[in-house]
Amino acid sequence: MADSAVGPFLQGTTGRNTRGLLRLVILCTIAAAAVASRLFSVIRFESIIHEFDPWFNFRATKYLVQHGFYSFWDWFDDRTWHPLGRVTGGTLYPGLMVTSGVIYKVLRLLSMPVDIRNICVLLAPAFSGLTALATYLLTSELSPSPSAGLLAAAFMGITPGYISRSVAGSYDNEAIAIFLLVFTFYLWIKALKLGSAFWGALTALFYFYMVSAWGGYVFITNLIPLHAFVLIAMGRYSPRLYVSYTTWYALGTLASMQIPFVGFLPISTSEHMSPLGVFGLLQIVAFVEFIRQQVPSKQFQTLLQSLIVAIFLASVGILILLTVAGVIAPWSGRFYSLWDTGYAKIHIPIIASVSEHQPTAWPAFFFDLNFLIWLFPAGVYLCFRTLKDEHVFVVIYSILASYFAGVMVRLMLTLTPVVCVAAALALSHILDTYLLIDSPSAEAYLNDGTRADSASSSTVSAPQKKPSSSAASDSLRSTRDPLVGIYSSMSKLSIAGAISTYLLLFVLHCTWVTSNAYSSPSVVLASRLPDGSQHIIDDYREAYQWLRQNTPNDAKIMSWWDYGYQIGGMADRATLVDNNTWNNTHIATVGKAMSSREEVSYPILRQHDVDYVLVVFGGVLGYSGDDINKFLWMVRIAEGVWPDEVKERDFFTARGEYRVDDEATPTMRNSLMYKMSYYNYNSLFPPGQARDRVRNSKLPAEGPRLNTLEEAFTSENWIIRIYKVKDLDNVGRDHASAMSFEKGSKKKESTSKRRAAKALRVE
Amino acid sequence: MKLLQALTWSLLPLAALAAKKSPKVERFRKFHERALSSSPLKLDDRDYETLTNAPRNYSVAVLLTAMEPQYGCQPCREFRPEWDLLSTSWVKGDKAGESRMIFGTLDFADGKESFQKMHVQSVPVLLLFQPTSGPGAKPNAQPLKYEFGSSPSEAGAVHGWISRNIPDGPRPPIVRPVNYTRFVFITTMILGLLSIIRVAWPVLVPIIQNRNIWAAVTLISILMFTSGHMFNHIRKVPYVVGDGSGGISYFAGGYSNQFGLESQIVAAMYGVLSFATISLALKVPRIEDPHKQQIAIWVWSGIMLGMYSFLLSSFRIKNGGYPFWLPPF
Repeated sequence: MADSAVGPFLQGTTGRNTRGLLRLVILCTIAAAAVASRLFSVIRFESIIHEFDPWFNFRATKYLVQHGFYSFWDWFDDRTWHPLGRVTGGTLYPGLMVTSGVIYKVLRLLSMPVDIRNICVLLAPAFSGLTALATYLLTSELSPSPSAGLLAAAFMGITPGYISRSVAGSYDNEAIAIFLLVFTFYLWIKALKLGSAFWGALTALFYFYMVSAWGGYVFITNLIPLHAFVLIAMGRYSPRLYVSYTTWYALGTLASMQIPFVGFLPISTSEHMSPLGVFGLLQIVAFVEFIRQQVPSKQFQTLLQSLIVAIFLASVGILILLTVAGVIAPWSGRFYSLWDTGYAKIHIPIIASVSEHQPTAWPAFFFDLNFLIWLFPAGVYLCFRTLKDEHVFVVIYSILASYFAGVMVRLMLTLTPVVCVAAALALSHILDTYLLIDSPSAEAYLNDGTRADSASSSTVSAPQKKPSSSAASDSLRSTRDPLVGIYSSMSKLSIAGAISTYLLLFVLHCTWVTSNAYSSPSVVLASRLPDGSQHIIDDYREAYQWLRQNTPNDAKIMSWWDYGYQIGGMADRATLVDNNTWNNTHIATVGKAMSSREEVSYPILRQHDVDYVLVVFGGVLGYSGDDINKFLWMVRIAEGVWPDEVKERDFFTARGEYRVDDEATPTMRNSLMYKMSYYNYNSLFPPGQARDRVRNSKLPAEGPRLNTLEEAFTSENWIIRIYKVKDLDNVGRDHASAMSFEKGSKKKESTSKRRAAKALRVE
Repeated sequence: MKLLQALTWSLLPLAALAAKKSPKVERFRKFHERALSSSPLKLDDRDYETLTNAPRNYSVAVLLTAMEPQYGCQPCREFRPEWDLLSTSWVKGDKAGESRMIFGTLDFADGKESFQKMHVQSVPVLLLFQPTSGPGAKPNAQPLKYEFGSSPSEAGAVHGWISRNIPDGPRPPIVRPVNYTRFVFITTMILGLLSIIRVAWPVLVPIIQNRNIWAAVTLISILMFTSGHMFNHIRKVPYVVGDGSGGISYFAGGYSNQFGLESQIVAAMYGVLSFATISLALKVPRIEDPHKQQIAIWVWSGIMLGMYSFLLSSFRIKNGGYPFWLPPF
């Protein structure tokens, strides 16, 4: 190789520089690929904010940019949770908004007037490029092989498990949080390796950023102490651990308490107690280590060791006592449901109702990680080979994260980084072994029947010394024999070929998944016409635009909480409940209004100043994410608060089926939600042939009758239906009789109305 | 109104005393005396008739059940201890009978007539007869029926339901008896375990410090979690399901659905693939004999290819539109 043209570039200082440059170029390319693969939705649709939560973040960012940081901090939002309002400034993680706000200001400063919406839309892809970089740094700390980091960065850049939460327009906390997660872990490993207070402080700084950005910071809060604890338990206490951990804990905790939403949680709740406990333990262990060095007496050491155990047990006891006494809050429901998996379903239906809180079936793992999922255990196994402090971290991280990802689909996000890292470790080890051009000499073996000694020194892949037989229990079974290397170039070629095929397949898979599953804004739906051309279904925006233009500025809109943020963001109208589900009773009130008879619901609507009610109905198009399918959760949540007035059982037929057709229960057919969904639906079909395409059932010949509401707007494909709440009757009648009077008195009516009138007489 | 109610309640013990003195003992007192010795009351047709006859100035909760093994009523058996616990703790907490509440159980064996009269088709049924005279009376003599969900009801839920539906008065809380056997059992177990650890310490230390064991435990738990074990655990999916023609179907239809056996098959596939990777990465480069090494490489890469191809084909079962595949499957 040395005599080829590029030879000089690969040797000595020049070689190092060349490789450094090459690495930089590769990393930039990876970052570019990561950004590019997230732009499907922008290209297909437009630069638009996706889904639900991002709409709130977008609205908050606009508020921040308009009114400045201090009024954002004190923001009391009276346009949500009517009539309660929400102390928004104190109940959100401001990291995301502040990040885009800063970017906006900096770009302004550079005379680049970019619209705030475009910054919000493109923030997630931009940060995914940074995540790839952070993964490179983290992996490079774990493996001496230069290719591991690059592979990990490439995996992280395009794996669907991460893309699912970071496509352009998915302007959510996770967009920046995963970068912060990986980077904080990198800094922690670095701090631990060097025992440096500087790196520890950097860890704390990025930990603070993470706390300000995402509630998932608790994962870091518990993972780092667990790592420290396991290291102590393995007898690996070192001053490096002491310096890095205490620096991180002291600074990080103080910093995290500056976020109003977090406040005093770090010293008063159970999920934050493990770092405190390990902090205390470290002090004792450090003290004992110090004494041990000064006093060599054997008995004294035993005494000290038992002292550690005793103090540790005593502090755990005190902790439990304080929890029982109520000084320290027990685990909050959301975290508790991760351990006791049946808890949420019984006690907090609102947590169980969110689809991303469901457990994960195996196809989801494969879908999101493809072949990384089976390289992952191999990579973890490789970590046991040298098992330095940082490898212990990877092992703990992978067990915990795979458990969490199994319990909750959403937490696949925290699993993805460690899968990428571990898979890259495994794959880079294989590539380093099989792509090496130097082969051990086969003749040497065949001639003398002994191993060629030079073979083991010629391989670069495994830097560990060959284990002595006395330390056999301390090494892995599969690495006990000395390393030889690969003899035949044929096998090298075949393995390299196979791995490249798998890698190519992985790229294809990622692109396919991203393009098909994760690039839909869910605000705008796309479908294919029979001739193959794309048809855009834009009912949501149509309806929200209608609300914005046709209703008074202070109109109150009631809808199920899923659509609260969108109404706030797109229609700019006040809502009763939204996706920040802080008040279960208020949500249950809406659930009750939706699931009760009109006579019960109307007073609730009046009491809450509701002007319009919005429902999502997919019966025309076969759009399955509509309100009738979510209806049972409304019933369940309402039943949790009013068990006497709303009963889930009443919505099922005697045979336990959930039906909307002729056999639907009376409770179902009289519920406001059912009526609003199917009101006038018959008029779309020839008489008696109305069909619901989602539930695939034939509807009753007569549609429901609405007395207290009137239809105000129905979007093109009937996905969104908006009803106006009628005012009290002018002559003091109740609405039902007023309606009957009007129907009965009018002689000349349209055909559909006459049918409804006939129905009335039958009653 | 409140005052009147309070007055009535304060008079109640006196009234009870008066009732006791009168020769014809009041119906509630009679049943309450019985309940004090054993609650819930084991009723028969006649008792049931007298107890629930209107007018009544007390509340009655009756569980209609069929405990005999030939009916095979699993929910009845599951609910029985909860029901006993509820009624016992209620009666114990309200010895004076101020809540005017009677708990009774009517088994099908003892009350065939009543069952027929009420057209009871399925058990368990829990009825609550509200008072028709006296304070808090309801005009409707018909009993309320408790909705048993799909899962066996817990005493607390029934307690809440009864408390909501009877007139004001004390609602004694459920007192779960301390399970001393379990306590002793756990203590003994812990002590036993501690002594075993103490004795076996010299043997245990090498095991605890053995890296291979830890690696194995780690890998197994990772494989379990990433193949959807927690899904099985939470959703309580069936282990395996027949395909309708005598065989069994190994893979559940649908992307977000799986069987117990299916996830184990997947875990095994992941395990084989990982093992092949580990072998190629660590073991094969340590084989000294070139021929053996050549063969090992062919075998392991063959296994890897075949298994991965099979994994892709199983994924296509779950996700119909998945376009990628590898030979041979």
